[in-house]
Amino acid sequence: MQTGRKNIPAFMNPAIFITSSVLVGILFAFQEWISLRHMGYHMHAPIFFESWGFQFLVWGTLCWIMWRFLGGWIQRARLVTILTIFLPLSIATSLAQQMLFVFIFHNLPLNHEEMSYWQRLSMYVYAELLDNMLIFWCAFLLFRGIGYYQQYREQREAKTELEIQLANAKLAALRMQLNPHFLFNTMNSISSLMRSDVEAADTMLEQLSCLLRLSLERGESQLISLREELDFIELYVGMQGQRYAGRLKQSVNFDPELYDALVPSMLLQPIVENAYVHGISKTDAKSSLTIEGKRDGNQLKICVMNSGNGLNMKSNDRGRRGVGLRNIEARLKLHYGADATLEIAEADQRNVHVTIVLPLQYSTEEENQLTRFGTQ
Amino acid sequence: MIRAVLADDEVLARQKLRQLLKDVDDVEIVGECSTAAETIELVRLTDPQLLFLDIRMSDMNGFDVLERLSSDADRTVPHVIFVTANDRYAVRAFEIHAIDYLLKPFTPERLHGAVQRVRERLLTGEPAQNGTAKKQEPEPYTTRMIFKSRGRILFLSVDDIRWIEAQENYVRICTGKDSHLLRETIGSLENRLDPNSFLRVHRSAIVNLHHVKEVKNESDGDATVVLKSGEQVPMSRSYRSKIQKLLKFQ
Repeated sequence: MQTGRKNIPAFMNPAIFITSSVLVGILFAFQEWISLRHMGYHMHAPIFFESWGFQFLVWGTLCWIMWRFLGGWIQRARLVTILTIFLPLSIATSLAQQMLFVFIFHNLPLNHEEMSYWQRLSMYVYAELLDNMLIFWCAFLLFRGIGYYQQYREQREAKTELEIQLANAKLAALRMQLNPHFLFNTMNSISSLMRSDVEAADTMLEQLSCLLRLSLERGESQLISLREELDFIELYVGMQGQRYAGRLKQSVNFDPELYDALVPSMLLQPIVENAYVHGISKTDAKSSLTIEGKRDGNQLKICVMNSGNGLNMKSNDRGRRGVGLRNIEARLKLHYGADATLEIAEADQRNVHVTIVLPLQYSTEEENQLTRFGTQ
Repeated sequence: MIRAVLADDEVLARQKLRQLLKDVDDVEIVGECSTAAETIELVRLTDPQLLFLDIRMSDMNGFDVLERLSSDADRTVPHVIFVTANDRYAVRAFEIHAIDYLLKPFTPERLHGAVQRVRERLLTGEPAQNGTAKKQEPEPYTTRMIFKSRGRILFLSVDDIRWIEAQENYVRICTGKDSHLLRETIGSLENRLDPNSFLRVHRSAIVNLHHVKEVKNESDGDATVVLKSGEQVPMSRSYRSKIQKLLKFQ
């Protein structure tokens, strides 16, 4: 089976591959013909080009078939497989190729018309088996090389993809702070507080600045520690808490052993934002928001639960809430493949649960911290 | 009276400081300036004890100003509170023993905290030692620390710490009304802190003895440390005798 990969070089097209193989054969023929002429032998040229060309036509076809049906296997093969399968295969293929060659060109070697098929074959095997095996292994190496090249290209593409996704997430985060729901409402709250409670206004302004600062200074890293992500979320949740003061109960609960766990940067924010925008803000009743993180075997399980307005499966809201969550889903998939999941469920009419499960990984690098200790 | 100079190239920024400092009785503003050159001149002229300093000014940055000032042999350098929108220079400010580093916009509370620290520093009569000033013998214990918490930069005096709780690879530092999470082990923190003030009462807790109200014995032989704020910190048996000795000693 051929690998289902993209980035297959153009020369692996069968026509191009086999034609170039034949060209290589003709090149060899030409070389041999010239060198023999040089040594004073004058021979009938077509026989050279025919035999060399034919030999490389067969090899080209064989190799291409091998690529087509064994390509993925070749690329993944371990040493044991190479020794137990491909080594015998190389001998068998070379032999078969030579048997065919000797069968077709029965006037070769020249001037030995009296020899039987088997005699000629053994002569050829003796002279050229190693050369033929060399051709086999060159092809083998070429196919493996293509495998590495594909892998490299794929990784680079995945990385680029991730970078784009992160940039989108960052942009979304900034937009979240710069959107009418949040920035202008916060500014309006500050404006109102300025008349009644200057200190509270100041506090809120400082918090807003901290939030903007945190999201602006997020580095380029795809994965950050959960602690960093929570810093942001706590600040955001704290500010929202002031806006919904009196009718919203919220809590952020994470097991301290998870603080160093790696999570994709800006993972929780769109989910928490959804909880406010689509859930809590749509009801006048008392509501609650709980964000929890637990370890579950080798997995990290994060739940965001809010009461308020339910999912309203039938309304148009569903399409709108999609963008942020789709972005998260895509990033989880790029990072963890099938090992991560994102689930949205309605516990009942008023309660929405979003659950993210991802493999638990810890950072191996020491975080670059600002913390310093000193004396007066 | 603490004589202070305000240096910031923005009028409104100076105005905010001026208005907030109006409520502080023992601070007198002796001058305001908008460029580094003016600042140097004004400090030389008025010899203030406190300088509110912006880092980015049109002609020179705040650190250059301090360097110039500390090269004056016959003059004591004022204590410095940096007031800036840029958080990149915090460590440098901490290292030259700035009193505080206020990120714009800041709350009056933060400002008052910083001024309070200036008062304490002036009481102990310690000179400001900005950058190039002579080096003191290093003290064995940490008295101040800088860290980042929820987007803010804090210069914390360890006296403000009430208690510290271990949380896996982190410690939660509880101060007046806030708590901060720091990536540090409680053991290494214990070693940095003066054992006359800070006592390990539990595998996962350190209390500041100045904030302890009492030690309550529990029926099962364990005990609870009650802080002046009312918070209760569990104490394990092995640490009990130590704290009772220390509390009597005080």
